Amino acid sequence: MRTRHPFTLLTLAAALPTLAWLLPAPAGALGTAAVAFGLATAAGVRRVLVPAVVTAAPFWLFLFVLHDLPTTLAIGLRITTMVAGFVWLAAVLAPDRLVEAMVARGWSVTVAYVFAATLSAVPLFRARARRIVEAQRCRGLSPRGSVAKRLRALRALALPLLLSALHEVDERALALETRGLRSGARRTPLAPPPDPALERAARWALLLVCIAALVGRLV
Amino acid sequence: MPVRLLALIPVAVAISLALSAAVEAVALPLFLDTTGTILATALAGPSVGVAVGVLTSAVNTLRNPTFWPFVVIQIIVALYAGLAARAGLFRGLRTAVPAGLGLGVIASLTSTPISYFLFGCTTTGGIALTTALGRALGLPPLGACFFGSFVSDFGDKAVTFALVTSVLHALPRRTAARFPLALRAIGAA
Repeated sequence: MRTRHPFTLLTLAAALPTLAWLLPAPAGALGTAAVAFGLATAAGVRRVLVPAVVTAAPFWLFLFVLHDLPTTLAIGLRITTMVAGFVWLAAVLAPDRLVEAMVARGWSVTVAYVFAATLSAVPLFRARARRIVEAQRCRGLSPRGSVAKRLRALRALALPLLLSALHEVDERALALETRGLRSGARRTPLAPPPDPALERAARWALLLVCIAALVGRLV
Repeated sequence: MPVRLLALIPVAVAISLALSAAVEAVALPLFLDTTGTILATALAGPSVGVAVGVLTSAVNTLRNPTFWPFVVIQIIVALYAGLAARAGLFRGLRTAVPAGLGLGVIASLTSTPISYFLFGCTTTGGIALTTALGRALGLPPLGACFFGSFVSDFGDKAVTFALVTSVLHALPRRTAARFPLALRAIGAA
């Protein structure tokens, strides 16, 4: 599945939960959940299927606590489809291939930059946040006690992260300006992912199935 | 869009998602997942805030797919923060905290139908538990769901507004002046 065009993977991941909510419950959601689990199993039992099951399990627990059995089954299968589908998508969709596909399709390079920069910035800032927490603890900051004390500790932990992030905006802006990035600029993709006619047809077919399910639900 | 505002978007999204480490350290029942959206709006206006909000939801969806339908809340937060910034409500904690509490009420009112009809109020463990508490107190299902959303959103948005106000005031004026709305948001222009 990794070799499929990124738009095909995105369409499939979007169509599964859409159909789970539109098709009659619980049979429709059972079918979409089975497809999502099939995809997750094919992508790797330990790497994709197990995380999907672990992510979906708490929802079932809370649904059993809050609702009767038919409602639990209907909502639980829909949420399971959504969870398994997106865990599968996160495992098989390479961000760099998606950016290349977007650029090849004529999207502005600024949109591609924002998408790629966000995906790379998140782990970077998470690591920085953990370093700040450890550094403040070394300086004797205690994150325990009354709510007011914890809020003061939160300010001491969050402020350095936010201020350093805003100072970094200047550095990033300078780097982008020196590379000639401006709104509406187009770039030539280096290695655009192949998009066979069969996959394009499959994407349109999925869209039509979703529209048919919506019409069937409304009529 | 100017390059500086373009560079702000991924940084603001990362801020929203990275703050969970600080929240875990102090063990408070907060999300702070709209911090980047509110900060970007206060600095650069609602259009940048909406972009940050939508991207934050998209990245959060890869971690927990039930976040995606709540993208509507991120957009409402950006629009509300834009109005608050234009009114200069980030000038101090006395104006920012009530504005945050107001946003908490709006956010919980908006998120309740999404949470109830799509997910049966099971979006996060905390909300599910407070919803169960609401049911145990005798509230009807939708009322219990609102109770769960309200408990989680009310304080969270007030703390987020207070945090953003602290950041805007801690920024050097020269840095703040590089963003179109920052000085107006803190009542300095």
